[in-house]
Amino acid sequence: MADADPLAALLARYAAGDPAAARMLAAAITPRIYAHALRVLGDGAEAEDVVQEAMVRLWRIAPEWRLGEAKVTTWVYRVVANLCTDRLRKRRTVPLEDTHELRDDAPSAAQMLQQRARMTALEAALQSLPDRQRQAVVLRHIDGLGNPEIAEILEVGVEAVESLTARGKRALTQALADQRDALGFEDD
Amino acid sequence: MTKARQNDEAALEALFEADRAAPPEVPDALMQRVMADAVALQPAAPRSVRKSFLARMFDAVGRAPAIGGLVTATCVGFWLGVAPPDGVPDFGAVIMGVEQDVFVAELDGDAVIWFGWDFEEGEADG
Repeated sequence: MADADPLAALLARYAAGDPAAARMLAAAITPRIYAHALRVLGDGAEAEDVVQEAMVRLWRIAPEWRLGEAKVTTWVYRVVANLCTDRLRKRRTVPLEDTHELRDDAPSAAQMLQQRARMTALEAALQSLPDRQRQAVVLRHIDGLGNPEIAEILEVGVEAVESLTARGKRALTQALADQRDALGFEDD
Repeated sequence: MTKARQNDEAALEALFEADRAAPPEVPDALMQRVMADAVALQPAAPRSVRKSFLARMFDAVGRAPAIGGLVTATCVGFWLGVAPPDGVPDFGAVIMGVEQDVFVAELDGDAVIWFGWDFEEGEADG
């Protein structure tokens, strides 16, 4: 199945010196991993650094890439996940309450469009999750990957992924329930 | 599961969906850096050797084995032109309008033997 990975074919072309392949690979992969890193890290500059580093690793491994061994996206996501984990470990975790205060105190918050406010709330709630839960939830519910692939990316079992996403979703639901009225969600 | 909880989960799903629908845009500067890295780290393409006209002709004909056959055929043809076998008309001479005398050596085997013998005979007599 992995033999049919179109990105693996592009990577082979890149390794063979095809400059167009580099552009196509970058266009296909960079937006996905940038969005992922931004959601996990919550910081644009750090997300950019992670993406650049992950892509550098991809370019470097291209000549040694063996077709059929892994999906390119899975490999890149794993690199990004590890880089994000490294950065998150170096940070001091921000408690949920602090995050909410930060968001609520923003002077422009009241003027934001409701959708923007919801996105901000989701982002804040995501940042309140433990790192592994956040990564699993983003991979599952926003990046839309299947549990087996997430297990491969996070290097854990599928059951662990299910547990991480379930707990993460519960925590998010709880965090957002507190803002139900502010976000305009009806409670019938 | 309470109705409120169901609503909360539905709201969360709606947020996920909205987030998926509006992914963050990749900054141009980031894409430029990624592409600059890609160019800098890309292995060189195998260099295509520009062949000379003769080399390309050599390839087109079929390289050494075919060239060997061609040379052999050319030599044989040339030789047949220079010295056609008996019974084969000399087309070259016909085309050029040249008369070709055939010198038939009268020095056939017996004559030579005889002449030589005769010459030697005369010397002896003299």
